[in-house]
Amino acid sequence: MAPRRRSIFLRTRRAPGLVLAGAALILGMNAARAAPPIVVGTTISETGPLAADALFQLRGEQLAIAKANAAGGWLGRRIVLKYYDDKSSPGTAVRLYQRLITEDKADLLLGPYSSLVTVAIAPLINKYKMATLEPGASVPTIYVPGNKWNIQTVASSTTYLHQLLPLARKDGAKTVALLGLQSAFTLACDQARTAQAKSLGLKIVYSTTYALPQPDFSSIALAIKNARPDVVLACTYYPDAVGITRALHEQGYAPRYLGETVGPVEPAFIAALGPLANRILSNTSWWPNFKTPGNRTFIADYRKKFAGMPDYHAAAGYSAVEVLGAAVKATHSLDQGTLRKWLLEHTVQTVQGPYKVDANGRAVGATQDMVQIQNGVLKLVSPPALAQAKVLVPYTGS
Amino acid sequence: MSVRAGLMGQTRMARIWSRLGGASDMAVAAAALAALLLVPLTATAYGLQLATDILAAVALAYGWNLISGFTGYLSFGQVSFYGLGAYATALLVSRTLVPWYGAVLLGGLLGAAVALLLGPIMLRLRGILFALGMLGLARILGVIFNNWNFAGASLGLSLPAALTPLAVYGGMALVAAAAFACNAFFVHSGFGLDAMSLNEDEAAAVAFGVPATRVKVIAFALSAIFPALVGGLVAWNRSYIDPTSAFKPSLDLETVVFVLFGGIGTLWGPLLGAAVLMMIGEELLVYLPNFELALFGGVVILTVLVLPGGLVGLANRFGWLRRPPVLAPAALPEGAPPAPRAMPAGDVPVLEVRDLTVRFGGLLALSNVSLTLRRGEIVSIIGANGAGKTTLFNAITGFIMPSAGRIFYLGRNVTRLPTFRRARLGMARSFQIPRLMRSLTVWENVVLASRHGGQAHRAVAHTAWVLRITGLAALWREPASRLSPGHQRQLELARVLALHPALVLLDEVMAGMTQEEREGVRSVIRHLPEFGVAAVACVEHVIAAVADLSDRMVVLDFGHEIAAGPPHSVLRDPAVVRAYLGEPL
Amino acid sequence: MLALQLVINGILLGGLYVLLAQSLNLIFGVMGVVNLAHGSFIVVAGLFTYWFTIRSGVSPLVVLPMAFVAMGAVGAMVQRFLIEPLMRFGNRAELLSLMVTFGLSYVLVDLALQLWGSDFVSVPYLQSSWTIAGLAFNQALVIAGIFAAAISAALYAWLNFTLSGKALLAASQSPVGAICCGIDVGRVRLVAFALGVGLAAAAGVLVIIVTPLAPETADDFTLLAFVIIALGGLGNYLGVAAAALVLGLVQSAAGYFLGGNAEYVFPYVLLLGVMVVQPQRFRRAAA
Repeated sequence: MAPRRRSIFLRTRRAPGLVLAGAALILGMNAARAAPPIVVGTTISETGPLAADALFQLRGEQLAIAKANAAGGWLGRRIVLKYYDDKSSPGTAVRLYQRLITEDKADLLLGPYSSLVTVAIAPLINKYKMATLEPGASVPTIYVPGNKWNIQTVASSTTYLHQLLPLARKDGAKTVALLGLQSAFTLACDQARTAQAKSLGLKIVYSTTYALPQPDFSSIALAIKNARPDVVLACTYYPDAVGITRALHEQGYAPRYLGETVGPVEPAFIAALGPLANRILSNTSWWPNFKTPGNRTFIADYRKKFAGMPDYHAAAGYSAVEVLGAAVKATHSLDQGTLRKWLLEHTVQTVQGPYKVDANGRAVGATQDMVQIQNGVLKLVSPPALAQAKVLVPYTGS
Repeated sequence: MSVRAGLMGQTRMARIWSRLGGASDMAVAAAALAALLLVPLTATAYGLQLATDILAAVALAYGWNLISGFTGYLSFGQVSFYGLGAYATALLVSRTLVPWYGAVLLGGLLGAAVALLLGPIMLRLRGILFALGMLGLARILGVIFNNWNFAGASLGLSLPAALTPLAVYGGMALVAAAAFACNAFFVHSGFGLDAMSLNEDEAAAVAFGVPATRVKVIAFALSAIFPALVGGLVAWNRSYIDPTSAFKPSLDLETVVFVLFGGIGTLWGPLLGAAVLMMIGEELLVYLPNFELALFGGVVILTVLVLPGGLVGLANRFGWLRRPPVLAPAALPEGAPPAPRAMPAGDVPVLEVRDLTVRFGGLLALSNVSLTLRRGEIVSIIGANGAGKTTLFNAITGFIMPSAGRIFYLGRNVTRLPTFRRARLGMARSFQIPRLMRSLTVWENVVLASRHGGQAHRAVAHTAWVLRITGLAALWREPASRLSPGHQRQLELARVLALHPALVLLDEVMAGMTQEEREGVRSVIRHLPEFGVAAVACVEHVIAAVADLSDRMVVLDFGHEIAAGPPHSVLRDPAVVRAYLGEPL
Repeated sequence: MLALQLVINGILLGGLYVLLAQSLNLIFGVMGVVNLAHGSFIVVAGLFTYWFTIRSGVSPLVVLPMAFVAMGAVGAMVQRFLIEPLMRFGNRAELLSLMVTFGLSYVLVDLALQLWGSDFVSVPYLQSSWTIAGLAFNQALVIAGIFAAAISAALYAWLNFTLSGKALLAASQSPVGAICCGIDVGRVRLVAFALGVGLAAAAGVLVIIVTPLAPETADDFTLLAFVIIALGGLGNYLGVAAAALVLGLVQSAAGYFLGGNAEYVFPYVLLLGVMVVQPQRFRRAAA
């Protein structure tokens, strides 16, 4: 064909093709916009005693979903997070998850905050066979063969402060006092640390459990003072961590090592205790200086959107969505069975570290690391590769 | 069919209709039944779960209503039974071969057993202290279960999954229906009337034969079964139980709000309150998550201040959902006078008081007082204020225990016998200030006593007869609170007669009456022997009114008996004059 | 030495308990109003103290008179609009006041949740102890104890030795009789309730120095306060003070010898025990 004719041909013959292609593109775009969003359902404790930490988890999830949407969504579809307030009540959560599954027809589910609420909805999850990532449940007993649709993304509470006793032992410590709050995750931690102490050959000179509210820890502190342990390891939440620290100070005893779970990582802890908080050891599953993929972006985005630093609950929520997204993209499917199989078999690198679970859905990749308050600031002290500072001893309470 | 038989048939239908309540009750019942049956056919899984939760709330509300609404013992301890039932079911289902419905039932029985054990102790206390005790119990149970490894301690227990949501719904519906039936029993039975009278005025109820402790404990045990059953079903539904959710404090609080809002102490209140608030709460949960607590609290405050009777109270103003009088026929029957009471053979005195002494701490209220009443006697006891007259009556009837001395009634030593037993044996008293059951109708006030007295086997007929002879027949359906003072006195007297007593103790029954009214009372006193009364004792200040009526007069002064004998000589006794008027100047 | 320290700890804890209970004693023990919102008044005052001291940097003890006056005013309004209307119901007033204050407690807790969140917070003030002769005296508890003693003594004196205090006792024992004596019963009740709530607020200011508070803990304080006055005798100031001290002592010992759980559960076990053995103690005292 002659060039001129080709150009005419180009102009005339291709024109309908172009129009058709354009129409197809427009129709296709409409179809994409018209394609229903992927609904991710969850409940979160917006009110009730668990609210303070639960909100961080929610924000992490929201942030991750916003980021995924900005990148085009999953399977070409937008993602919508549909969530309800379960009021920190297991019973309410059960009803709401029922609603999410049968009325709202959620495509995917994320777990709620706290082991307490997660355990309550576990049977429902299993009944409807929804592969559900649980960012808020650290109690390992949930993840058993009977509950195979629940998949853990945070480290088990049995790993909280697991570095402390070996470290103290190496330093020459011989005796330890163990305290535990009467609550599922702290007790699991307490039991694990007790077993660890025994296996390390440390002598347990005092141990007790207690329930909240406990306005006065002086009797316990006095008993500890009497026993003179080298290490005091308390599996606590926040108010009891404050109470025990103060009581030890008031009764006039400072163990060489003082470790408390969860409480010291709350921002209010340092404000509440001032100099008493210095050199207390605690645990965290995530830290801003982690060199995990996307961590810097996560922190920057979080601060821009929510004003203030994220904490490990936010990181947990964010990571869960990351893992979920990886599974959906890898399998090109929203089928629960397919997703579950993939989730059990693969590793995903998230902002809080590697995600990997065993055949029961129990986390084996996630770890709990150790932090210490030094001069009024929390510093990561373990693992050595990421540590910002060395562990300072002894604890002096000043 | 004769006219009479036709009328009888109609009366029976009318009786059944009035027993079951009116048209409004039927309407509510029909609506509830319809909802109950429609839900499993039409609802989604979420709707079914919500309905199950509503039924649970209804059952809990009805259980609470039994002890706190009808019987008036405000309890914050339902959660203790809930948790016990939950754990019993969980342990049985997970560790034994007992099927789920057996486990739930056994859990319910455990709740009742614990209530029967604790009841006699805890129910000695009234008001907030009983509530406190139950709350403390719940805390203690929480700690026990948190530490009990066999029951999973803090980590809780898992159960094998429930069969189907429909099975749970059915179970919960049965429990709610049973709880409703129990409430209906209270509203329509003599036992329920006893409970309601305890709520109103326990001392007066006991004086007319109500066995207070027994009624309270049974009501308490009944009220414990339902939360235990609900707890068991919930545990089975969730396949998991742990101490925090088993003994959660909010359970009692929600239950209280539901019943209060619906109408405390009524038949339909718990159902209406629980259903309405649960559904509103569910909607609020979705749209207004943050303010739910404040709104709940606001509902309570507004209900108490503006609508203390709750929804049912509001309905009552329109004439709906009114409680029919207990054991009342459609129309007041003629009634018949009772057969005379069987008396022991021989000349045993009706009442014999020997050397009665009553001390209140350091105060000697009665000192070595002796008194004998023979058959057919009317004795009046007079004395200045503070002489110990009412104390004497209180000791005779068992309201207070004497420090020394003995009391014999119809030859039997009753010194330590509880008041209600004395009333059942035929010892009746009236109170100085009428202690009527103001929230009950005239009919109910009287039938309460009839049921426990000598004519208990024909209580309805006897009550009708008593109302006719005391001139209260026209007012039989009126609430006692609406009676004039004169009618109130008549009702007091009617209650006394309803017990078919052998001994009547009248405490200042003529106080504040007009001459006419006094004549009426004097006439009744004279006729008492016709009604089977063997002896009458009157404490009186209006001496003139009883002087010619009495066979004997006894004068008390500062706890001592200073004179006794025929009225005309006693009234002239210088010691008596001195006691009343003092020494001449 | 150890025993002595245990005793001191116990007495100091008892001092805190006295503080919690005496304000309720005025409202319930004397007026017969079942104030289930007691704990929420304490917690709101405590949380407000935290918020204020964090912002302004002043000592919590400065906040105390402010909280007393402010909450007293709130208490006056509550009494005027929520409680007083119930007095016409006679002997049902106790049950109804229970319900109304129960609803009020929810409203206050929700308010606290909205304003200050659900987290536990505490004030870093007076965190050490004074050491005298080798024995440790928790500073916060000592200050709280001193206040508690002062408040108990003042209440006792006011009720028994002043005309206005006796007017309150009269109004509680027989409203009709008091009116006949020319006592403005409504005003007396207003003052008493306002005073009770103000004192509860003072307790809250001191409590947050001792232990962290969160809105959810309100009910636990209410319950504890009721337990203490039930043990000490309703309306009996010296009795409640004594009961609170004994409770503190025994609870401390239980905590030392039997562990944390025993300490927590102890007040309830004691309450049930006394209920079983001596139910006649639970009657409203004359004064």
